[in-house]
Amino acid sequence: MASSTTTAKKDDKAPAQQAAPAEQQQPTQKAALEEDDEFEDFPVDDWPAEETEAAATKDSTTHLWEESWDDDDTTDDFSNQLREELKKVEASKKR
Amino acid sequence: MNLVLEFLTNIRRFVLAQNGDELRNWLKVENTIPNIDVYRNLGQALKSNFPANSDALEKLVDKCLPEEDDVQDGKGSPWPGFNSFIKEFLEYWRDVDFKDIVKVHSRLSDLLISCANALANPAYGNMLLQTSISLSESLSKLVIGLTRRPQLLSQIQGDMTGDEGGEKKSIVELAADIIQKIFTSCLTDRSSTRWQPPKGKKVAIYLFANLTLKLLFACEKSRLAVQMFTNLSTQGPALSLYPASQRVTFLYYLGRFNFDYDHYFRAHMCFEEAYRQCPPQFQKHRRKILTYWIPANLLMGRFPSRSLLARPEAAGFSDIFVPICGAVRSGNFVAFHQALARSGEWLWKRGLYLTFLYRLKQLVWRSFIRRTFLLTWQGSVDESSNKAASLSLDDLVTTASYVQKLLEGYVPAQPAPKTRPPHINTIFLKPVANAEGEADSLLVPPPGGPRRLMPSAGLIYGNKKPTLENIEPIVASLVYAGLMNGFIARTQKKFAVEGAKRKGGNAVLAGWPSPYEAIMERFKEGLDEAKDAFESGESTEDPGDMNDVPGWVRGP
Repeated sequence: MASSTTTAKKDDKAPAQQAAPAEQQQPTQKAALEEDDEFEDFPVDDWPAEETEAAATKDSTTHLWEESWDDDDTTDDFSNQLREELKKVEASKKR
Repeated sequence: MNLVLEFLTNIRRFVLAQNGDELRNWLKVENTIPNIDVYRNLGQALKSNFPANSDALEKLVDKCLPEEDDVQDGKGSPWPGFNSFIKEFLEYWRDVDFKDIVKVHSRLSDLLISCANALANPAYGNMLLQTSISLSESLSKLVIGLTRRPQLLSQIQGDMTGDEGGEKKSIVELAADIIQKIFTSCLTDRSSTRWQPPKGKKVAIYLFANLTLKLLFACEKSRLAVQMFTNLSTQGPALSLYPASQRVTFLYYLGRFNFDYDHYFRAHMCFEEAYRQCPPQFQKHRRKILTYWIPANLLMGRFPSRSLLARPEAAGFSDIFVPICGAVRSGNFVAFHQALARSGEWLWKRGLYLTFLYRLKQLVWRSFIRRTFLLTWQGSVDESSNKAASLSLDDLVTTASYVQKLLEGYVPAQPAPKTRPPHINTIFLKPVANAEGEADSLLVPPPGGPRRLMPSAGLIYGNKKPTLENIEPIVASLVYAGLMNGFIARTQKKFAVEGAKRKGGNAVLAGWPSPYEAIMERFKEGLDEAKDAFESGESTEDPGDMNDVPGWVRGP
């Protein structure tokens, strides 16, 4: 059950009522739920901004993305196949 | 009987002291609490002394929890709504049978409604805030559990149809309605303004918003969150006034909501802020944010960088996203479908598979057409020439037909070690080699005939062959989306690139601008159009600014 992985926050938060008949659930269902990790409650309510990346630098997340990723290489296998196909079709048209 | 009296005496003590924490600690409803035996004994005592058909319990509650006449500052008093709630709480423990989950659901829903009514009391309602949160969490967990057990779910849904006759709401909607009722009660509290540190019930606004969102997303009903975001936009307090855990959780769900509705840029802004405000030690949370933040960026034409994928919270993500990015980059549809299939289960579970399949296809087409151009365009756009760089649409049909054949399982007509895809078994090559010379393609149908493709697995639609007629609209849609720059010269059956001279004669750069920039440009244009429509009175909906996300209250 998802709640089994939940970290208690304010009190002795316990699993929900459905825990009672939980043993009747199929194992597959159980496994699926374990995988289905919800966004868990945080173990603490608040933390200082200094602990976060937001404080480290204003632009801290810009290097995380690649915008120019086009590939101009046409010597790869896929390009060679397409090139050969174009030649073949062109030749067949001339026949 | 003594146990009931003792319980009510203590409850009165907490009410008089306005001790919300203790009320929450005592007003528990789950069967897994450590002191469950006390509640079981309480239930037994109630069963023996207060049968369901008598008003004795109501009388006892009113006797033990009288309204105080002279209440000093800082002290509290029971009120009629509170007593009703306590009576229902006691009845809950008297009647509860945790094996009958359907009944537990019904009683807990009623109990939370009763709690919400008591919370609405302007003088003393606030002391039930913690209890409301705790009961909402319990109901939410129960409903999430129930939605995963279809047999029980249909039993409840069946009962509800009988009760309500006409309108039929799902149990998720009903639970969300109750929690949202409390959310609204917090939202309309006048203890503080939107831009002041929250007081009174306002302190719990984002707690209830997050509880509702958690429930709706767990049950795949995110569309029901629209009204809540609208209410927050119009009267909600600034998110920055709330604790970090609530901010990050709220932004995560707001990002998910925008992602579900194809607002990838808005989703990106929410995830970015959630990630930035979530310290590295909360690796699991950062991983969940990344799970959707990376796809949002992919759909905006940005790939995750190596440094991002090397972060501890991104462990294993390379195996999923790098092959997908590689296929988009090369415009290789076969690799694209293979990459999606390879991580199919993971993507399905997170609702990403179909989004990638349909939405990323446009970027694969862009790269594929670009590649065909690189392979066929021989000219140069130099100073002296007025001839525009162009791509023959017939050539594009040729390359597209080749890819469609690969998708259908066609095999090389002759052994071609350099070009043969690694997955093709040489055992099939001999018989089909006989067909060499007859075909106008390097590929011939596989023994047993071409593979039958699902509509989404084909280049155009299933096994439909690429033709000029169905390729042209694809090129047109890419031009419309700004992902290709030029026009279709229909009589010449060409796509003509525009603006090559402005790019120093680089026709590839001119014809295929950066996807991210193009997508952002289109987003801005759409926003400008919506703004014009709003300003001219054609539309009543203010689209806001580029960085606005409905539901995210940033400041005055």
